Amino acid sequence: MLRLKGGRLYDPAHGIDGVVGDLFVADGRVVANPGPDAVIDAEVDLAGKVVMAGAIDLHTHIGGGKLNIARLLLPEDHRGDPVPALDLGAGGYLHAGCGHAAPSTFTTGYRYAEMGYTACFEPAMLPANARHAHLEMGDIPMVDKGAYAMLGSDDFFLRLLAAGADQRLINDYVGWTLDASQAMAIKVVNPGGISAFKFNARHLDLDEAHPHYGVTPRRVIQALARAVHDLGVSHPLHVHASNLGIPGNADTTLATMAAAEGLPIHLTHIQFHSYGTEGERKFSSEAERIADAINRLPNVSADVGQILFGQTVTASGDTMGQHRNHRHASPDKWVVMDIECDAGCGVVPFKYKDKNFVNALQWAIGLELFLRVTDPWRIFLTTDHPNGAPFTSYPHLIRLLMDRDFRNRKLAEINAEAAAHSQLKNLEREYSLYEIAIMTRAAPARSLGLADRGHLGPGAAADIVVYRDDADREAMFARPEYVFKDGELIVRDGRVVKVVNGALHAVKPEYDKGIEKPLKDYYDRYMTVKMEHMKIGDDEVCACGANKLIPHRCGRTA
Amino acid sequence: MTPSTCPFCGLLCDDLPGNGPATGQCALAERLFQVPATAPALIDGVPSDTASAVARAARLLARARRPLVGGLACDVTGQRAALDLAERLGGVLDTMNSTAQFRNLLAYQDGGWMSTTLSEVRNRADVILLAGTTASRFPRFRERLLAGESQFGPTARRLLALGMPEGAAPEWLTEPPIPCPPDRLGQVFSALRTRLAGRPLGMSTVAGLPVARLDALLETLLAARYGVLAWNAADLDFPQADLTVRALLDLVIDLNARTRWAGLPLGGNDGDASAVQTCAWRTGYPSRVAFEATGPHYEPIRFAGEGLLAAGEADALVWISAFDPARTPPPADCPVIVLGRADMAFTTPPAVFLPVAVPGVQQAGFLHRMDGVVALPLAAPAPGGPPGVAETLTAIMKELDHAAA
Repeated sequence: MLRLKGGRLYDPAHGIDGVVGDLFVADGRVVANPGPDAVIDAEVDLAGKVVMAGAIDLHTHIGGGKLNIARLLLPEDHRGDPVPALDLGAGGYLHAGCGHAAPSTFTTGYRYAEMGYTACFEPAMLPANARHAHLEMGDIPMVDKGAYAMLGSDDFFLRLLAAGADQRLINDYVGWTLDASQAMAIKVVNPGGISAFKFNARHLDLDEAHPHYGVTPRRVIQALARAVHDLGVSHPLHVHASNLGIPGNADTTLATMAAAEGLPIHLTHIQFHSYGTEGERKFSSEAERIADAINRLPNVSADVGQILFGQTVTASGDTMGQHRNHRHASPDKWVVMDIECDAGCGVVPFKYKDKNFVNALQWAIGLELFLRVTDPWRIFLTTDHPNGAPFTSYPHLIRLLMDRDFRNRKLAEINAEAAAHSQLKNLEREYSLYEIAIMTRAAPARSLGLADRGHLGPGAAADIVVYRDDADREAMFARPEYVFKDGELIVRDGRVVKVVNGALHAVKPEYDKGIEKPLKDYYDRYMTVKMEHMKIGDDEVCACGANKLIPHRCGRTA
Repeated sequence: MTPSTCPFCGLLCDDLPGNGPATGQCALAERLFQVPATAPALIDGVPSDTASAVARAARLLARARRPLVGGLACDVTGQRAALDLAERLGGVLDTMNSTAQFRNLLAYQDGGWMSTTLSEVRNRADVILLAGTTASRFPRFRERLLAGESQFGPTARRLLALGMPEGAAPEWLTEPPIPCPPDRLGQVFSALRTRLAGRPLGMSTVAGLPVARLDALLETLLAARYGVLAWNAADLDFPQADLTVRALLDLVIDLNARTRWAGLPLGGNDGDASAVQTCAWRTGYPSRVAFEATGPHYEPIRFAGEGLLAAGEADALVWISAFDPARTPPPADCPVIVLGRADMAFTTPPAVFLPVAVPGVQQAGFLHRMDGVVALPLAAPAPGGPPGVAETLTAIMKELDHAAA
């Protein structure tokens, strides 16, 4: 048994806010205090240290196929951050790779762990690309993984919707998709819009009819949100709303919240959806209106998708949006793919500049959203890696949230006009360690239904992070002193000391397998893949590289 | 019975009966599914037990300072092991079809692309233009992609061809092929872009085609609801063909200002789509990567495998070729270790030959289709053959550990 002695514990799931205490770990789990007679094999003195559960990123594009398209596009970015191999002896072998905007899989795992993350969720797995995604994620070590299956622009679903299919049939199809693709949740990206782009539509507003199917994005959202809810999937429908990046899209975002009609809904990278049209440049912040709506609507959660300045690459299923954005590509090259009557993919490299009015305001809008949403259980810390910035910028972002002086110094550096437009300077809030622990641990675990993650109570998986308490929060969160994964010490002083593999989280909903009859007929008649091969078996998950499958039963507890 | 997947061309047809292709389904598949259960390992052409051949391979590699891990014709599991070996040895990695692949990759890394996948073509494409290729390297191309029924109703496709080899035009084209020397396709694409932009060409013919003919072609392209421009980099066998591909891709991009078009890069044979994907997620680069002390080093021109061998810059070659016995190693002036099908025959025997299982026939695995998006499971309808590529490379790495200890 391992005793972690005398650290300051931040465990919001149990309301513990900086209380000094011991943690006991046995067989990879946190266990209750075994009493004075227990045999302690190892003890670590954590006096003065900050202790939290392993962090969980619920929206990071680490392995959904599109990042590989981005990797292939950007050799010049990799060249700036080569990563050599390193033999740790008994600790294992660290593979070579590359870092920065589109890091290699191995480097992704190492660097997440080195920041104290122990689970990452890929938010955009196309069912047609699912086996590839699992292979790619299988080569991301250190962290547990999971993925959200993308629906809403796939022709099978849109046919069902256009034909007025019963919601129960839609539920079965959604359940089958989760099961077949080994997914953790359902995501919809520009609802219906990826399909509409294949019919040469260049925009699709929330209540605009799809050019072929006649259904509206609102209807797509309602059917999917209902299915996710009825199936008892823990994480709400994960929505990349219509009109991403378009000035004035805040109205669409508010209407999208309303479209859920009280059902749980998660709006992702909401920073990109909080824009107005005020001012000379017809681009303004609507962060206050969006944050107020989130504060008012308990069924809504969001992640921010903060942008940070510098070179990155945007990777999205939103082909319609990415085709529109390609004129901003920097360097000037980009990819748009239509994929398998399923969805699509768009990759556009981006360089966010602090002296650029629009980029500077985007930066301020993201921070405003963080600071104006009052409930940290419903707003999650993301940069939409790599779309807003690479995930390695999280420690910097945490400092911006926790340190007002630092934030104001940075505000003074950005485009002056944008700074003048922004309300950011008036926001006094500074996040506490407790709130950071909520938004990066307890809240994502609760949203995803990970009962034994994101907290430090008895029974929890011993994913534990220990930080030196440093007034420079960026330095503190960049370099944890210890990271334990399932009870094993994997990181010491911000460096991997033991290579482990991660598990795959997937939900196992109940649905009527009779859906396979129309599906098989559809695949046989029209597709170039057999329905049978869309299904990824439980054994295959491990053959792809995960160390085990962690199945999650679905169902609403009363 | 669950249908099985054929690994022998980039279409990855997954509608084979469980035991392999049905008679008449595909001549290529029928030929390559026939593989002897096993064959002895060879050292300098002399039959040997596997352990000795593995030990010999390890000794040769332990001496090498810059080995080339080439071929990579196997499934993802084998390719992962090949990457491990190259990393361990500080070697260079390249695929057997990289000369063709880099015509696309250089163009892609220069400007990106708009592309599509097989099921989109089958359901949406109403105009298909084959550029410089007959698609004949993919025996079931027409059957799989150009079916008469799509989910959007019966199809009336216009099937066009530009610059295909003389006399080779498939019978299913709906219009006479437009002649053009393949190495002048780039000029034609650029001219079409110029006309699309409404600008004059200042010449009466381009690559032998009258401007009026180009304008008529452009009109056909613009009349498409969803057009597909298909090419096969392997058929663009002339210098600087990446520039031709770039011109093609730019035409596709420009057409999208008006209607929908997408490129369809034909390829993916010999597992090369998987090799690029696997190498990319592990290193960031498609292939032609050296594992150096500072990390992976990518040289898309200088690290061409055949060039390194020809220049004597590689001092050992590991050649992985588990799909097609005809794909033997290129000429090399250094020790050669071949992991090949049991029925591979050599005019010059390599230093070591290790027979390996054929993925999709003798061993299960994973393989990507030509589009790099769809990865399919491979079954093992004829198990019990030699060890797979991954097992064999792992055995060699174990021997290297012993040698190092």
